[in-house]
Amino acid sequence: MRRSFWVRLARKSRFWRGGLPRFPHPLHIQLAPVAQWFHAASDTTRLDILELLSQRERCQSEIARLTGAPQSNVSFHLRVLKEAGLITEHRDGRRRFYGLRGETLDNMVAVIQFVSPGKHRGTCLLSGCQ
Amino acid sequence: MTIALRAEPARVASWFHALADETRVKIVEMLSHKERCVCELEQVLGIAQSRLSFHIKVLKDAGLIADRKEGRWMFYGLQRETLDHIAAYTRSVKPGKHAGSCAVACCD
Repeated sequence: MRRSFWVRLARKSRFWRGGLPRFPHPLHIQLAPVAQWFHAASDTTRLDILELLSQRERCQSEIARLTGAPQSNVSFHLRVLKEAGLITEHRDGRRRFYGLRGETLDNMVAVIQFVSPGKHRGTCLLSGCQ
Repeated sequence: MTIALRAEPARVASWFHALADETRVKIVEMLSHKERCVCELEQVLGIAQSRLSFHIKVLKDAGLIADRKEGRWMFYGLQRETLDHIAAYTRSVKPGKHAGSCAVACCD
């Protein structure tokens, strides 16, 4: 009986469409993209790409040539970076140029600073926070 | 052409990999308040201890957290220096940060 209740609720309710509700947490809303940003930067090839793009905007073939990785590989990594919002893409004629998104990098630094110990001294509501 | 990296790429990748999971970000956020033992983390996050020790191992291997034994309990705390390194690295790749100081001819 209990199971059928949940099944019915799941079928009826729009509430469940976006996935199961998660544990309430101060970082709750931002957590999924945060993990995605760091995931995008957690590969040596993608770090090389970030290094190259920090110099200037580049197109895919240029990135492939400079990193020494095959084109298909580079296009996969570029897609991961783009989906995480770390890079932007713009078309110039037939070629696509990729550039870094400064805001996302700023947000990553902000997250790191937020979790650095001692950074929220005095402002934290949690008892026992040092 | 060689790409000038300020830290070993594999090391940098491991830092970011450690933060590439929601549970691990939560753990890091919890540890930013104070040192905690596994029992506390387990209670708050509501995940099995086996999963938790896996996540803790990833964080420890990346050098983000350090453990301290007190009696029978292990306490985990954040490593401030690693977080500073990550922030420094992320700032260093921001465009325009190395204008003028870069050896690459086409850098702007």
